[in-house]
Amino acid sequence: MTWLPFIIIIPLFGAFSMPIVSLLKGKAKEIWATIISLATLIVGIEVFREVWTGGTIVYALGSETPFGKANFPIRIVWEVDKFGAIMVLIITFVSFLAILYSIEYMKHDTGLEKYYTLILILELGMLGIAITGDIFNFYVFLEIMSIASYALVAFRNDTWEGIEAGIKYMFVGSLASSFVLLGIALLYGQYGTLTIGYLALKMSQNPTIVAKVALALFLGGLLFKSGAAPVHMWLADAHPAAPSSISAMLSGLVIKIGGIYAIARVVFSMFLPAVNLATVGWIVIIFACITLIVGNAMAVVQEDMKRLLAYSSVGQIGYILLGLGIGMVAYGSRVGEIALAGAIYHTVNHAIMKALLFLVAGAVLHELGTRNLNELSGLARTMPKTTFAFLIGAAAIVGMPPLNGFASKWLIYESSALFNPIIGAIAIIGTAFCTAAYIRVLFTFFGRPSEKVMKAKDPGIAMLLPMMILVIAIIGMGLFPWQISDKFMIPAARTLWDIANYVASLMGGG
Amino acid sequence: MKRALAFLSLVVIFAALLMALSPEYGIKFGLGGEDWKKYRYTDDYYIKHGVEEVGGMNIVTDIVFDYRGYDTLGEATVLFTAIAGAVALLRPWRREKHE
Repeated sequence: MTWLPFIIIIPLFGAFSMPIVSLLKGKAKEIWATIISLATLIVGIEVFREVWTGGTIVYALGSETPFGKANFPIRIVWEVDKFGAIMVLIITFVSFLAILYSIEYMKHDTGLEKYYTLILILELGMLGIAITGDIFNFYVFLEIMSIASYALVAFRNDTWEGIEAGIKYMFVGSLASSFVLLGIALLYGQYGTLTIGYLALKMSQNPTIVAKVALALFLGGLLFKSGAAPVHMWLADAHPAAPSSISAMLSGLVIKIGGIYAIARVVFSMFLPAVNLATVGWIVIIFACITLIVGNAMAVVQEDMKRLLAYSSVGQIGYILLGLGIGMVAYGSRVGEIALAGAIYHTVNHAIMKALLFLVAGAVLHELGTRNLNELSGLARTMPKTTFAFLIGAAAIVGMPPLNGFASKWLIYESSALFNPIIGAIAIIGTAFCTAAYIRVLFTFFGRPSEKVMKAKDPGIAMLLPMMILVIAIIGMGLFPWQISDKFMIPAARTLWDIANYVASLMGGG
Repeated sequence: MKRALAFLSLVVIFAALLMALSPEYGIKFGLGGEDWKKYRYTDDYYIKHGVEEVGGMNIVTDIVFDYRGYDTLGEATVLFTAIAGAVALLRPWRREKHE
């Protein structure tokens, strides 16, 4: 008996019952969404514990085994390894806090029953991607996640920027998704199966040019979803325009699951036997270096607080891609292991700290009604708790030693310097830009109070509580950086590399 | 310049797809005989065992609602999301209280 199915059942039930629950007047829909996401968090913790004690979970839908009377999988399977379990945990955690935050943050908006339906579906889509072991099923959940996020970006339909960003995101996002679908169609035509583990097996027997074309299409589509450099423009528009609770989920989770996790899963668990990993790795590294510099440099010159955070997200995606790319080129070596562990660690850390920073930006926007940094000087005087949360988040993202961002960035620096000193230097330059951007914001916050800021005050408990939980998470994780990296991140990196085990646990029957 | 590059890359992608779809290098069309067993073993299984395992005479519905029913659930969710999103975006604008 495994808890795994409930990670889909509970949010699905919550989302589909939301229109009925919202017939009750008052706060019913907020309370219902909070209960559902809390229950999902509990199941997420349980699934994480299960995978960590019992190893990879393989679950066939509709039968005991995925095989039937054949010797190849005919049913859809879920396959949750250690990396997937980490993603499940962080998705359920950040989604719960974002929903808790929305109770107060969204109270001036209309159409809230649709808002809570969509936010639960967004969580559902991300969880589906994290647990699936079937490539077409991956596409279905990628679409669920994408469509929910298009609608949520444009949720404030009375603002011009919401609609503009939504249209931009939707047009290019659907194009990127169709690339992924085209890649899946090619793979099915050539290999005749849709299960990721079995596809890897078939590809190892017969690597063809079709596999390479499909991989190129996958990488193109998924790098778009992660906001890598030449195609990051949707992100810089979508994050500022969305409600802040949604920006926190988009920046903390959607670009990681739809981008980073998907690239890692597709490359390591599916294409590893069929393609030259070093070539793929260098392509990822090149994009990572461009992303690092462009994202962080553009963050320095922004006037708009949320746009600054959005560009900073692009920059941090650059670090994660860098770790991932080195993990591919240096497959099987100690350097590659450190790089991949650093990438996974930074994915988790960045989800926590960027969620915190966007929630802070939302609190500022909610109290003052402006995101322009020039009008926010002296915020520390009137909103001390919010400023404190921002200070912690900014210090963590820059990588100050007592906080969690330090260890993950250190792993990426160390491995990139060992791998190739030039890439190490590029990573350091990116951090210099990042530091400059955040110090500029902090100087503004601690400056002389402007007239507009004087009548501001800290937000209520429902908005402060999620921020404080994230602050505690950042500080708490910062106290045990190397323990976390040795106990969780390095084993996760090893299971991601271990394709033989991934295929064996599928074929051995769940 | 940008547009020319975009067209050029489209041409490259198109050429790569044509190559992947040419029977000499990549995917074969009109499979039969030995190739059917080699490339379409999953479909073959569904056709042979669909009726006894699921009980429906229509293989497509057998696959869509039994073997791959979870994908259908996902598609229903996509539709629900699209409707919720469209309704959410087409709602009337909120009015200022002090108007």
